[in-house]
Amino acid sequence: MELLVCIKQVPDDSVTVTLENGAPKLDGITPVVNAFDTYALEMAARFKEEHGGNVTVLAVGGPEVVPSLRSCLAVGANTAVCLNESAPCDSLGMAHLLAKASQKAGSFDVIFCGVESTDKATGVTGTQLAEALGVPVVTNVLAVEPVDGGVSVKQETEEGYRTIEVPCPCVVTTVKPGYEPRYPSIKSKMAARKAPITELSAAEIGADAAAYGPGAAKVKQVAVAAPPKRQSGVKIQEKETAVAVSRAMEMLAGQKLI
Amino acid sequence: MEKGMILVYLEAADGQIVKVSLEALNAAKKLGKPVAAVFIGDASAANAAGAWGADAVLTVAADAFQAEAYANILADLCSRYEAPCLVLGSTRDGKELAARVSAKLGAGCVTDAMDLNENGWVRSIYGGSLQETVAAEGRSVVTVRSGTFGKPEEQAGRTVPVEAVEADSSELRAVIKETVKELAESVNLEDAEVIVAGGRGMGSAENFKLVHELAELLGGVVGASRPAIEDGWVPRNHQVGQSGKIVAPKLYIACGISGAMQHVSGMTGSGYIVAINKDEDAPIFDVADVGIVGNVNDVLPLMIEEIKARRS
Amino acid sequence: MAYLINPEDQDLLQTVKEFCEKEVKEQCKEFDVSGEWPEDIYAQAAEMGLNALEVPEEYGGPGLERLTVAALMEEMAKADAGFASTITASNLALKAVLIGGSEEHKQHCCDLLIEGKHGAFCLTEPMAGSDASNSKTTAVREGDEYVLNGRKCFITNGGVASFYVVTAMTDKSQGVKGMSAFLVDAGTPGLSTGNHENKMGIRTSNTCDVVFEDCRIPASALMGTEGEGYKIAMKTLDMSRTWVGCGAVGIAQRCIDEAVAYGKQRITFGKPILKNQALQFKVADMEIRTETARQMVAHALTLMDKGLPYSKESAIAKCYAGDVAVQNALEAIQILGGYGYSREYPVEKLLRDAKIFQIFEGTNEIQRMVIGKSVIGKF
Repeated sequence: MELLVCIKQVPDDSVTVTLENGAPKLDGITPVVNAFDTYALEMAARFKEEHGGNVTVLAVGGPEVVPSLRSCLAVGANTAVCLNESAPCDSLGMAHLLAKASQKAGSFDVIFCGVESTDKATGVTGTQLAEALGVPVVTNVLAVEPVDGGVSVKQETEEGYRTIEVPCPCVVTTVKPGYEPRYPSIKSKMAARKAPITELSAAEIGADAAAYGPGAAKVKQVAVAAPPKRQSGVKIQEKETAVAVSRAMEMLAGQKLI
Repeated sequence: MEKGMILVYLEAADGQIVKVSLEALNAAKKLGKPVAAVFIGDASAANAAGAWGADAVLTVAADAFQAEAYANILADLCSRYEAPCLVLGSTRDGKELAARVSAKLGAGCVTDAMDLNENGWVRSIYGGSLQETVAAEGRSVVTVRSGTFGKPEEQAGRTVPVEAVEADSSELRAVIKETVKELAESVNLEDAEVIVAGGRGMGSAENFKLVHELAELLGGVVGASRPAIEDGWVPRNHQVGQSGKIVAPKLYIACGISGAMQHVSGMTGSGYIVAINKDEDAPIFDVADVGIVGNVNDVLPLMIEEIKARRS
Repeated sequence: MAYLINPEDQDLLQTVKEFCEKEVKEQCKEFDVSGEWPEDIYAQAAEMGLNALEVPEEYGGPGLERLTVAALMEEMAKADAGFASTITASNLALKAVLIGGSEEHKQHCCDLLIEGKHGAFCLTEPMAGSDASNSKTTAVREGDEYVLNGRKCFITNGGVASFYVVTAMTDKSQGVKGMSAFLVDAGTPGLSTGNHENKMGIRTSNTCDVVFEDCRIPASALMGTEGEGYKIAMKTLDMSRTWVGCGAVGIAQRCIDEAVAYGKQRITFGKPILKNQALQFKVADMEIRTETARQMVAHALTLMDKGLPYSKESAIAKCYAGDVAVQNALEAIQILGGYGYSREYPVEKLLRDAKIFQIFEGTNEIQRMVIGKSVIGKF
């Protein structure tokens, strides 16, 4: 099967983002591939290794996203496509660009997206991409298996899971499965340096200028603020654990909490 | 039903409206327009919606949950009743429905709203490091995080007309073959007065039992950070934080939790926070009212013992 | 300042660093206690190609520059010196084959390392440590075969290797000139391994006896010609010493990292202990030593790259870096005080790991002999 994985480059999510002049201060934070997208890529790569096919990765952005595409080429992707478009978009605008770019890049049976990004975390882009393409989607996916004419998908729910069959082409949005994404090997990493990356422009993919970009955005960010701060209290450090616990319990009793 | 009302999709279980749906209803009411509640499939709680503040109720007969069908129905209702806004609870299914309906209608989509102010909806970004306020232009679809808006005030005896309508749910491509309920117990972290939560520092599933023991002793609920869930020490419906529940109990005891932003942002609303961690630099201490530097597996048994002693 | 590696290779350094941070550093603590060989970690490392870092491009390897490999090795040693020692030991065996083996030998061993297997270099014997010429292991030619008999000890990867480079006497009367080197595959009848040594440090590496009892190998297993074994072994050690130094630098650096992290947050008399000049000087001295050792490693590697003599520099790099690792570990423990002495904290392990770097692959006394002889010359 032909598999596409849509990836987003985000600031390293283990770093706390602070505010500077009313905007998130992102310089100095290492850009990485969104964690949920790395799960999507690993799922797609395993699918390919088991059932055959190709994995293409697609990212939207300027030259700054190329290293992320290359890192995907070192961990299971066969080809990479970069849509050179840096206009800020809301999720519907991004879904439009991804839909057009995927149609231009090839004919895909299953499109994998991370369920959400660790930066804006809207969690809707993959689903909206499916709607833009007019294909079915399954969200919160843990596993994908081929069946006649489509795929059988395990979807994580609030209380357990569902097994869902959908015809191809389709979109799946992935959560963290029971395994970790692989590490690149020294050789795959070196080979990825030289791999060609297909570059596309918004004009080439036939993007509708009225459907993406800041002007088209239906949802606009009007303010960014730091969350309310909490004051830290007392830190008890005692040689004897029992003494530390007694002191803490006194304080809790004082607050009538125990 | 008249046009132009805000629609709220309410999920019901066992004749009760689920908690996060009530929060969605509460959020919708804050928009200052009449609100119509929508039940699809299970309408067992339709008569209760009036008491929770809905101004009208629509019920649509349908089979069990199927995202395409339910999204088609909601999009159809939004168009037919010219709803300026559709509000849903931020469950997994709720977010999927929101994404689908917003795309079908070309409407702006805001997920995981935590608050509403004069400029728009407030939501967490960068793993809870920051909060953004977003404004939706024109028609919008909004999902509301559980534990953020609270339930509306219940007006016992208030009833509103319930109208059964037909809606289009054609063109179904996904077939649900099996639905499995793995997590038997329902975990009500949002309403808990005491939460005892464990993290990676607990070390093992065996040690995690101490968290259960303390929670039980205090009449509280067990919470967890992501690593404890990933290691399988506790089911995922116990998760507190960005990918779990936002909680605000009177007392929150964090055991062996380092305090990653993704967790902390889900519990800083707590009244009083106790943190136990062997790493004196753990960021959890920055938000704790009382921090105990020590091995959680030594501290918890002593705490349990002392609470028992105080009570007897 | 780290090794000045080719900027293109920075992505490899990042990858290995991340792997070591996430999969090796913390995990190895547990194996340090149990003394168990962490098979899963090595499998993952093999999957990444870390066993084959030094395999030349013509044999299917990555063809990395030596300085890049050194930077990667330092990361591994920083995370866990036992882990790095396992990798280094495979490469030690590989070096012997590249120096003295036939084309078939070379391709065979390179293929094994690329597959993720391990190698072992078997020179040391109970009565032939520093005095390698006192070897008792024999190889007797019988038709198209050699028959090996003898016992090798303290063999890193002894119990986990797929191939063994073994030195044995083919003609005892000739002394070291009667020593030959052979390539023996794991599983050859007559080759067995003894108990895993319960070591003080580098406990995540496998060390054991390798025993030969009428072990028959084809004549083609001979590396080079009869009598070349000692020369091959000495050339191999000459080269590999620098890499041992590289591992020691990794430990020395970890000592600095741990001491500084602790010293910044540990408050005594109302201020962090690193606000005291006495401790700042300690850290400065640790850094001076580590950086000098690292640059000595780099210098020896550069000499190898340029095809210039490097024996003395390689010995200096190993000897100095080994001493530095031990000194830094002692200082790190001192800075952490009582906690430094506790197994709850990571630095006591660093001392246990560091000590072997003054001992294996030629004790530091032997290195000083090499260096001294090289400076003084014959007179």
